[in-house]
Amino acid sequence: MILNTKMTSFMSLMMMLCVCLSAKAAKNGQAIVKENCAPCHETGVMEAPKMGSKSDWEPRLKQGYRNMVKRAVDGYKNMPAKGGNPLLKPEEVAMAVDHMLVKAGLVETDQPTTDKKSATDKKPPTKKVEKDATKAIVKAVKKKPKKTANSFNRLMKSKSDWNPPPQEDGIHDPDNESTYMLQTPREAFSDIDKNPFGNHVDWVKALNKGLIDPRFDRLDPEKSGILMDLNIIREVKGSMPDVVYPHKQHTQWLDCSNCHPSIFIPQKGANSISMASILMGKQCGVCHGKVAFPVAECRRCHSLPKQKTDLAR
Amino acid sequence: MKSVIRVSCGILIALTFTLFEAEKTNAEYGDIVMNNYSAKAEMRPVVFPHWFHRIRFQCKVCHADLGFKFQAGGNEINMLKIIDGEYCGACHNGEIAWAIENCNLCHSAKPGTPTQVHDSTIQKLVAPTFATDKQSKQ
Repeated sequence: MILNTKMTSFMSLMMMLCVCLSAKAAKNGQAIVKENCAPCHETGVMEAPKMGSKSDWEPRLKQGYRNMVKRAVDGYKNMPAKGGNPLLKPEEVAMAVDHMLVKAGLVETDQPTTDKKSATDKKPPTKKVEKDATKAIVKAVKKKPKKTANSFNRLMKSKSDWNPPPQEDGIHDPDNESTYMLQTPREAFSDIDKNPFGNHVDWVKALNKGLIDPRFDRLDPEKSGILMDLNIIREVKGSMPDVVYPHKQHTQWLDCSNCHPSIFIPQKGANSISMASILMGKQCGVCHGKVAFPVAECRRCHSLPKQKTDLAR
Repeated sequence: MKSVIRVSCGILIALTFTLFEAEKTNAEYGDIVMNNYSAKAEMRPVVFPHWFHRIRFQCKVCHADLGFKFQAGGNEINMLKIIDGEYCGACHNGEIAWAIENCNLCHSAKPGTPTQVHDSTIQKLVAPTFATDKQSKQ
């Protein structure tokens, strides 16, 4: 038993040593490229700029060195964030980019300026600027938005908190490597109209504009459902505008059987609906307040102003 | 009269407390955490991102064709059913979406997170929101 514990502690020590050693080795741009970038950039699969190919790298460098490193850190098109290795630090990614630029013959050396005095003379003056830019990017990636007295509002999220990446959303485990492989909502929503509530995007607009094309059928992308264009008007008590329920926007997403007859009896006047039950997740609240736009957007349902004569009664 | 004030004060305090609790997570609206069996099986709970799926499929595909009930944790999904092609397994089979060997892509929630719909109205108003700091540190 004692031997066993000794063995395990020895093993763990060895493993720690290995980790330390590998961490040290990873400081080298060439090694980082070999371990993380080479599988795609060596062969040029999936439109990756090929190592050593000046024509592949030049147009990308022209878009700005900062931009290049940022895309390598955050991911861009087929390129996964940090080349798919979440353990890499942003500065290590920048080193890898530097190394590949050297290979492409666009930068003369990727060694730090202090290492080779002779090299500094030959280097283009832009190199120093590029190094500063790398530092700025690393700082920007690491920087967290500063909270000030005015940013306090316990009921509202600031815009910078909208659609955070999974590792920062508070429910995904940042210690799980796969968390970093998931698509980030910000990337998915980049083209879609913004909305103050819910996912902070207007799903109906996105659908009608054709920005998203959710399948009607699990297997067949060509199949489409039948839309029902029938508005139901519900007169409400109090001074709120009456509710217009559009079947059209609902049948764009749902099947009749989703709501009828289990949630709503398909008969005029047969359903007694209240805001209290909606808030508690019943009736409209089965979806609205969970996935469809929340009840905070009163006027999206209460949209038909009452006649003045109605109010007088 | 006094008792009414006392009760209403209590409700107010409880409400503020839950609101503060809700602030701890910044999860996407409609993200569902399922922890029916995961914790017992020593796996991370599952995160189901509604937003990701609704970009690709209409609600009816899962909620009408595949028979998902409109209730977080109410479908009693387990890996056996998924392997048999039910529920998630109808798509996560390596043909429509990636297959089940990518365990940690779904089982990706912080350990100890209970089953719930994140950012929902109910969560904000009444239900306990997130594993307390104590739990998440464990």
